[in-house]
Amino acid sequence: MRIIVDAMGGDNAPQAPVQGALQAIKEYGVEVVLVGRGEDILEALQEQGVAELPQGLSITHADQVVEMCDNPATAFKEKKDSSLTVGLNLLKSGEGDAFVSAGSTGALLSGATLLVKRIKGIRRAAMAPVVPTGGGGSVLIDCGATAEGTPEFLLQFAFMGSYYAERVLGRPEPRVGLLNIGAEPSKGTGLQREAYQLLQKAKEEGRLNFVGNVEAREAVEGAVDVIVSDGYSGNIFLKAVEGAGLFLSREMKKMFMKNFKTKIAALLMKDGLRDFKKLLDANEVGGTALLGISRPVIKAHGSSNGYAMKNAIRQAVEFSRSGIVEDITENVEHMRLTARSAAADGSGE
Amino acid sequence: MFEKLCKLIAEQFGVDPETVTADSAFVDDLGADSVDLMDLSMALEEEFGMEEMDSEDIESIVTVGDLYKYMQEHLDI
Repeated sequence: MRIIVDAMGGDNAPQAPVQGALQAIKEYGVEVVLVGRGEDILEALQEQGVAELPQGLSITHADQVVEMCDNPATAFKEKKDSSLTVGLNLLKSGEGDAFVSAGSTGALLSGATLLVKRIKGIRRAAMAPVVPTGGGGSVLIDCGATAEGTPEFLLQFAFMGSYYAERVLGRPEPRVGLLNIGAEPSKGTGLQREAYQLLQKAKEEGRLNFVGNVEAREAVEGAVDVIVSDGYSGNIFLKAVEGAGLFLSREMKKMFMKNFKTKIAALLMKDGLRDFKKLLDANEVGGTALLGISRPVIKAHGSSNGYAMKNAIRQAVEFSRSGIVEDITENVEHMRLTARSAAADGSGE
Repeated sequence: MFEKLCKLIAEQFGVDPETVTADSAFVDDLGADSVDLMDLSMALEEEFGMEEMDSEDIESIVTVGDLYKYMQEHLDI
């Protein structure tokens, strides 16, 4: 298993990608290709006390870096020798099993969509983070790759999210919910109402365990394994959950630091508090899978440290081994509006 | 060349090549959006060696016939 890592992407590059790569090689026995300015990568390795490239680690030089100020839609084309573009091209040509980057999300999305390409029949790639919920985590798809959606996009997101929940999270028959402002099928805008009908039809055909609309509160409580949403609403949901988590953590810390008694209580609960903190720590997860691209791509958080990058690489390994890309490819005909419409009215026979 | 173009378009959009004609409209008939058109532009570059189209050119092309005319103007065919 060989994972290609953008060594120049993210706030803490190249140190964080280098640290993550070294840890991943040791812990997971994978090979890692670090893509970026060779001299910078070697310097970061020396800072880690590594004088020679360890077994399993290689460097592919790329002179340019896609910056956050670059146009995300065109950066991958304009900077052909960037760590992002070179890395994606390595993935495309089969010189690695997955690609991880903590750099510009927009540039990664554009580059993955137009260089590595979407799975045939998939209209849009989606970003699918696993958000902390009462059920042990739920796949939120889409969390912002596409601001506006169509019913067909949401249908495809539902299938892709379901495969991810099944293969990577290990949920048998994942419960799929459509993020909405109420439970009734008539709720929401035209987008949600039409998507509801498509998802319901998929359920009746036995292809999807669609449980209906799900409100944000129920979703956080763990009512579903997959939360299907257009990118705009999904992004708002994600940021609200992140913010609520931070707020809760801060208030709990204030409470435990209040006086001597509460500090003792905190000490007694140390293990539990550490587990609770891990639950809300994005560094534990690593990154977000881009679903719908023909090869595995993971977007690590921009502020990822070495530990987070290591977990992002672990996630890339899991993604690559999961068979989700094959699942999607084999079932894409059931996710296409044109094919489904033709089947419904009997045309094409 | 036109047949080759229709075959490429059919593959890109996952439709029967027989259904792609000069009058086929990318948006209305083939359901294309901006990402699909950029993707097609890159595929044309790979297949025909055509220079990548800028966004203004992409926006001006409505049908497959328009695209073929553009190719004739920009390639030696």
